Amino acid sequence: MKSIRSLIALLSLAAVIFVTASAASAQAPAAAAMPKVKASSIQVVMVQSDEVKLPIAFQLSLYEQLIEQLDKTAKFQHIYRDGDKAAGDASDLLVLQSNVFGFKQGSEEKRQVTTVAGATQIKVHCKFVDKSGKSVFEQDVDGNVRFIGGNLRATFDFAKKVAALAVANFT
Amino acid sequence: MKMPRAVSLLSAAAAAIIGAGVLATPAAAQNPMSFPEVKCVFGLDGIKHNADGVMSVQNGTLEFTKGKKKVDIPASSITEVMTGKDTERTIGGTVGTLTMFAPYGGGRFLSLFRTKIDTLSLEYVDASGGVHGAVFILVEGNSLGAKKALLDAGAKTSVPVEVEADQGPAPKEKKQ
Repeated sequence: MKSIRSLIALLSLAAVIFVTASAASAQAPAAAAMPKVKASSIQVVMVQSDEVKLPIAFQLSLYEQLIEQLDKTAKFQHIYRDGDKAAGDASDLLVLQSNVFGFKQGSEEKRQVTTVAGATQIKVHCKFVDKSGKSVFEQDVDGNVRFIGGNLRATFDFAKKVAALAVANFT
Repeated sequence: MKMPRAVSLLSAAAAAIIGAGVLATPAAAQNPMSFPEVKCVFGLDGIKHNADGVMSVQNGTLEFTKGKKKVDIPASSITEVMTGKDTERTIGGTVGTLTMFAPYGGGRFLSLFRTKIDTLSLEYVDASGGVHGAVFILVEGNSLGAKKALLDAGAKTSVPVEVEADQGPAPKEKKQ
């Protein structure tokens, strides 16, 4: 009887320790997560492609889609374009720099005919910097189109993901 | 007896066609740099994505007209003009999407029928210095003409028209 009781006590103690530990580990990432950065306006810089040859239509589409999707989030009071003189006077300004490091131009025809082939993929390194040029947040984001839509739809996919990142990381 | 009547009918028809051609010529001459059936993929303020309209280059300005809406871009503010080639599904739009549900791979088969198109990409600057990008889809063979018209009107480019014309598909060599 004694051995059974001690076994139950040990098991319950182990269970308590396990539950406490798991609760602590769940809270740890939240505590370690970066606090949201305050930014009232953002300037989107023209997308660069130093490493890969990117057609200009994709470059322009990435840029325009970024502006459109960031505008849709209603997160920022002002969204400035690259070269906009008014951005210099803005307070709490973030600057979004994007550099394409991977690009695979698929084929809309192949996608429509085969379903599995012809995907378009764009990989972009996105960097949010403050006015002084200090990096605030950076991440690689990709854009894909696998089934329905033209090749430029990959830029829409990418821009939506960047907009979601902006919502999650900035106030 | 019936032959003279037929001849007179044919000659009347020919005269009507020639007359219509003569009348139509001045109108075409007034607006020589107009490109119909242009699709604005994106990039013009106030114009929805993939809007069909008419693009024209006149008085140093690029105009895109969609119904009552008209957007002007001064050619002098255009910093880059590039052309390209692509294909699109001949049966597109909603009907094209619905064909995907056609039985026995009918939609896939229809996807093989494609129309060649030209693309025209522009980078331009607004009054406050902000950079914009716009992409248009034109009927095959029109993009170089549009680019030349824009360059003549004051637009800038990093790739001259002649170079882009040379970059076209190489002529097939004849087998001997």
